[in-house]
Amino acid sequence: MRNNNVSYLVKKGISSVWKNIVMSIASFSILLVSLLQVSITVMFILNANIIMGNIEDTNQIAVFVKDDENETDEQHEKKVAHIRDVLMANENLTDVKYISKEEAAEKWNENMDGEASDLLSMVPGGNPMPETFTVRVTDVKNIRFTVSAIQSIEGVEQVNAPYDFANALVNIRNAFSLIIVAMLVVLILVSIIVISNTIRTSVFARRNEITIMKYVGATNGFIKLPFFVEGCFVGILAGTASWGLTCFVYNSVSSLFGDNLAVWQMFGFFNLIPIETIRLPLLLANCVVGALLGAVGTMISTNKYLKV
Amino acid sequence: MVDMKNVNVHYSSGVDALVDIDLHINDGEFVFIVGESGAGKSTLMKLMLREIVPSTGRVFVNGRNLSALKGNKIAMFRRTIGVVFQEFRLIQDYTVYENVAFALRVADSSNKTIRQRVPYVLNLVEMGPKAKHKVRELSGGEQQRVAIARALANDPGLLIVDEPTGNLDPKHSYELVGLLKEINRCGTTVVMITHEHNLVRYFGGRIINLDKGSITFDETIGGSDYYEE
Repeated sequence: MRNNNVSYLVKKGISSVWKNIVMSIASFSILLVSLLQVSITVMFILNANIIMGNIEDTNQIAVFVKDDENETDEQHEKKVAHIRDVLMANENLTDVKYISKEEAAEKWNENMDGEASDLLSMVPGGNPMPETFTVRVTDVKNIRFTVSAIQSIEGVEQVNAPYDFANALVNIRNAFSLIIVAMLVVLILVSIIVISNTIRTSVFARRNEITIMKYVGATNGFIKLPFFVEGCFVGILAGTASWGLTCFVYNSVSSLFGDNLAVWQMFGFFNLIPIETIRLPLLLANCVVGALLGAVGTMISTNKYLKV
Repeated sequence: MVDMKNVNVHYSSGVDALVDIDLHINDGEFVFIVGESGAGKSTLMKLMLREIVPSTGRVFVNGRNLSALKGNKIAMFRRTIGVVFQEFRLIQDYTVYENVAFALRVADSSNKTIRQRVPYVLNLVEMGPKAKHKVRELSGGEQQRVAIARALANDPGLLIVDEPTGNLDPKHSYELVGLLKEINRCGTTVVMITHEHNLVRYFGGRIINLDKGSITFDETIGGSDYYEE
């Protein structure tokens, strides 16, 4: 097909959007809701993954060694060596570090600007600081299982792991993803049906023109192209609007974090993805998905109502 | 140009629309196809346009076996014929120029061809001065001329005209058939379907009469000078 005729058909398709404005608005709205949901979900999942990564990077589990007054030094050393070996053999653990009572006391003293040494000397029975191992988990999803495994090691007194927040985040992410996917499937189906009906209305409005086209020798592609343009154009408009709204929402949420950065950092929210880095891919993804949904809706409608 | 052999069209409703049709129309002929309502005129036209295929028999138009055409080959075939309808079938929102250009665009013509061809065919049907008018501003006779111009846009060898005078007053009807005769004199084969016997008698030529799906008369008669309203 010649370029001049392609541009003619593209103009016809776009002008059809305005002629068919009520149905176009309906298609646009439903597509916008679907795409917005996709965008926000994707942004949430991307950031949740990063936060999970942060938690995995910074998450330190403290393993307290049981303090038994009756055991000999040799027995104690064996116990500590056994705990270290078991911790190091665990594939979900990394950075296994031993902190003796003295090192713990020294560290605490440092944190207290040297004022803790007097305090420690006053404690009856000597240095009360616990003998510990610090470890990091490689996969935060398995933290609860890993903590249970550590707790079962002989000679371990207690395990401190901030896994509640990590688990909550994993649960939220999984539940959110499931709900969103379910809603998304419904919304995508509704979008396709609404677009299909919009195109059907458009086909009906232009039935006279289509009949003429057939009699003067229009090919299937020539007849269908304007409808595809119409469907895809509505999809791209909705995609652009969805992108704008997503950026706006994301910026608002980011500024919330910015205002209370210190608090959020405690929970691993160190580096939300900067909107600048994903603005263009997000726009492209929204427009491509919008256009695809538009194309699928159009295809269903033209195949069903446009017997050429 | 048009060749039908042992053509039968049987509709699923049980109606035999055409029965044993043998018809040959040569290049350059002007043929009137007449008959009462339900005689099979429209079915014959649909066969020639490849809207339907015969139940049995073969239809050749412009050298193509129409039953063998599929998909876009049907579109390509239709570009070799022109068709004019009783109800004009013009796009009312378009100008006269745009309506004719539309047929050329559908046939994937270049902008240069469109610019050259549209004024030519509009002048041929004496509608050149009204090229910029919207179709809805025109009279019935003028609209039918635009429809003829559109049918001629792709320079077809065969022009099929279905009841072109059905919506026109007698004066305009005679003028229109006169115009079709002129087009025929320039070399285009014209098949005109009509039930207006006055026109047929006035202009004369080859007349094919259909009755209950069969050809009952196929003769060439001379025209008369008697103008009957």
